[in-house]
Amino acid sequence: MRANTRIFGEIDIPEEKIITMEKGMIGFPDLTHYTLIYNSEKERGQSTIMWLQSMDDGDIAFPVMVPTIVMPDYDPVVNEEILAPLGELTDENTYILITVNVPSDIKKIACNLKAPIVINTDTNRAAQLIVEDDYKVHFPIYDIIKGNKERAGE
Amino acid sequence: MLALTRKKGESLIINNNVEITVLEIRGDQIKIGVNAPKEIPIYRKEVYEQILQENKKSAEALDAQALNELFD
Repeated sequence: MRANTRIFGEIDIPEEKIITMEKGMIGFPDLTHYTLIYNSEKERGQSTIMWLQSMDDGDIAFPVMVPTIVMPDYDPVVNEEILAPLGELTDENTYILITVNVPSDIKKIACNLKAPIVINTDTNRAAQLIVEDDYKVHFPIYDIIKGNKERAGE
Repeated sequence: MLALTRKKGESLIINNNVEITVLEIRGDQIKIGVNAPKEIPIYRKEVYEQILQENKKSAEALDAQALNELFD
């Protein structure tokens, strides 16, 4: 599947790397095909930024990250019925990401813990949902990321 | 928008499988009960709007370089 993207230029992604979000992201109901783009192979699945790139509209790409980087005990209660269309979820095939909001002042970077994206890595089906838990929609993370880096550098 | 008047205890049925009931009226607060199949997401609109705005802002991320520098 091909897309002409704002950030990555022309990309051609094999079918097995296409993530289908039947209901799209919240606010983007018509964009149902995505792919995850990593900054480099070595960072795959590691503590870094990835991009959930829309294959339907190349202008749309969500920076995403694994929530445990900024909140190690992140464990929202999710409505299993809403996730049923993704196929059976297990500890092994469930991959949870959160969107990152990157304003022009990078110090104001924040992530959204209230609306995680749940991906079934076996079926490559995903959904974004709003959890009932008292998590923040706009959770500033600049100091946390800086702190993590400093600890890693010690 | 369809506007219907309901009293306490009265309901609406939407699409044969969603029932909305006025449970309690107290001043300017109304308690609403929703009976719907569990696979139908039901959200408070202000929370939904907040998520929608946050998603839109996220999708507009311009400075990929500053982002990479912060994380690398």
